[in-house]
Amino acid sequence: MQSQSIDLRKTIFLGSLTGIVWGWLAMAVNTVTGAFTFENGLLHNLVTFAIGGAVFGIVASGFLSLMQRWLPFKSNLTKAVYIAVSLWIILFIGGYGLATAKPDRFVFEYHQGIQGLALALVLGTMLGYFWKRFDEAKSS
Amino acid sequence: MERIFSKDLVFSKAFLPALILVTVALSMVVIMYGVDTIIPKAHDTFHDVRHVLGMPCH
Repeated sequence: MQSQSIDLRKTIFLGSLTGIVWGWLAMAVNTVTGAFTFENGLLHNLVTFAIGGAVFGIVASGFLSLMQRWLPFKSNLTKAVYIAVSLWIILFIGGYGLATAKPDRFVFEYHQGIQGLALALVLGTMLGYFWKRFDEAKSS
Repeated sequence: MERIFSKDLVFSKAFLPALILVTVALSMVVIMYGVDTIIPKAHDTFHDVRHVLGMPCH
């Protein structure tokens, strides 16, 4: 049986770095699109979007580390986009299931959903780009 | 003896990353669905994050 090992430092560093930047970018994008009116203050959101982004980024980065050998794409950028979007879709399906089961508690907003999917695509692109730059810097 | 030691080493090397990733993945689920029963006040704290990322919320 083949064992699969991952570079934990690289995974966590790149995932959290990408995720924090992406979280703040998501705030900026939402301010421009106006898909959701923020209910919390800027300082609160700077912290929570950084944490939320870092968590999402680390999970995407972890899956990229684990699955990059098996994914049918050559480029790490494509793999990262595939993983980030797949993660978002899986989470969304779960959330949609909750919205169906408890419609008074969970409500789906179409515009926010489209924005979330686009942001997942951006996360994958950023993660793939940072991953590529990290590998290039390491090999040179 | 060496074989057993090396197996343990491989296990611990694989176990730590797996544990970290599972913990972070669980945190992601808690944040995205606002599960207050696992982390108190997770719903209110990450309310805006959830909406901006398009997850169903109230």
